[in-house]
Amino acid sequence: MLSNIFQSSTLPVLEQVVNFTEARHGVLAGNIANLDTPGYKTRDLSPALFQQRLKEAIETKNEPVSPTSLGDVADLSPGSMPVRQETRQIAAFDKVKDSMKSILRHDGDDVSMETQVNEMMKNQQQHNLAINIMSAQFRLLRAAITERVA
Amino acid sequence: MFSSLDVSTSGLVAQRTRLNAISSNIANMSTTRNELGQPEPYQPRYVTFQTDNKLSTPGGGAGVKIGSVEHSNEPPKMKYEPGHPDADARGFVRYPAVDMTTEFVDALEATRAYEANIGVIEVTKNMSDQALRIIA
Amino acid sequence: MSSINNISIGQSLTPPKMPTFGGEQTGGASFKDVLVDSIQQVNSMQLQADQAVETMFSGGEVNPAEVLTAVQKADLAFRLTMQMRNKLMDVYQEIKDIRI
Repeated sequence: MLSNIFQSSTLPVLEQVVNFTEARHGVLAGNIANLDTPGYKTRDLSPALFQQRLKEAIETKNEPVSPTSLGDVADLSPGSMPVRQETRQIAAFDKVKDSMKSILRHDGDDVSMETQVNEMMKNQQQHNLAINIMSAQFRLLRAAITERVA
Repeated sequence: MFSSLDVSTSGLVAQRTRLNAISSNIANMSTTRNELGQPEPYQPRYVTFQTDNKLSTPGGGAGVKIGSVEHSNEPPKMKYEPGHPDADARGFVRYPAVDMTTEFVDALEATRAYEANIGVIEVTKNMSDQALRIIA
Repeated sequence: MSSINNISIGQSLTPPKMPTFGGEQTGGASFKDVLVDSIQQVNSMQLQADQAVETMFSGGEVNPAEVLTAVQKADLAFRLTMQMRNKLMDVYQEIKDIRI
């Protein structure tokens, strides 16, 4: 029950975004540090791949749970369904985590200090957005729990 | 999401390429031989810009990319130096058609454009930071 | 939310009916209806805001400012409804404590 509070809103999505932006920040910082290293190939985490996986995970989460999709579970008692759905949701977001492990390597054309800094800045904006929305969600949950409006 | 940052960065990259071409021209102002050591004057390089519609913002703005790096077709400057090893039969040496004043003015323009793009990036960042205050 | 009815001066001088809790007044929604309606609206606003956030982070073409505004509106709507519910609880407590 306690973990379901945090699954109902956009919190899982935001957590994944924050993880991704932090990981990517490290990779980009490494690129900038190695700008003058001879023979260095810049690396990046692909945001396109991340967004794709996230989209799939969100669609999995939003699918209505139907009895037939539970496979061989003949027992439709209220206790069994939420567990299945929860494991599917968590598994969906694990695939998103996998996208962070694939590092792209550029082969050197069109890579300059400006592009790296630009990517870092966009990454930062996304990170700040996610963090701020997440803290707003937490404040809302807290208002609901304490029954105090402000 | 933040496509105006991409557009500004394309401007930065383009201006830097232009500045590279200009610095190469100025460095090679007096080069009378090519890389193979033959007496052929250096040809100044010029960069042309082109609008890049692949980098576009939702409102209709577009980025910039390097169209081409051209070699100048201007005839080389002839100077009368009979004692120079690269002098031709009549004693003239062919120097590259690089006018330092023009190149320097172009360099200033490229620098200003670079700074202007950086200014735009600052404004964009400021706007996003202010937008975060909606929720705080 | 529909607004609470104003009392105009031209009305008759018979004393108005005491509003019973949950009962229908003559010509306006009761407080209960207002509360239930606003709860449903708050829920739909929250769902919309959640959807906007998800679209934004999975690559959709939405303006971040719009998403933030939607989130903040849902937030304020929730707090307003919460406050209405709190006032309701206070009123109930007071009425309960009236000694006849």
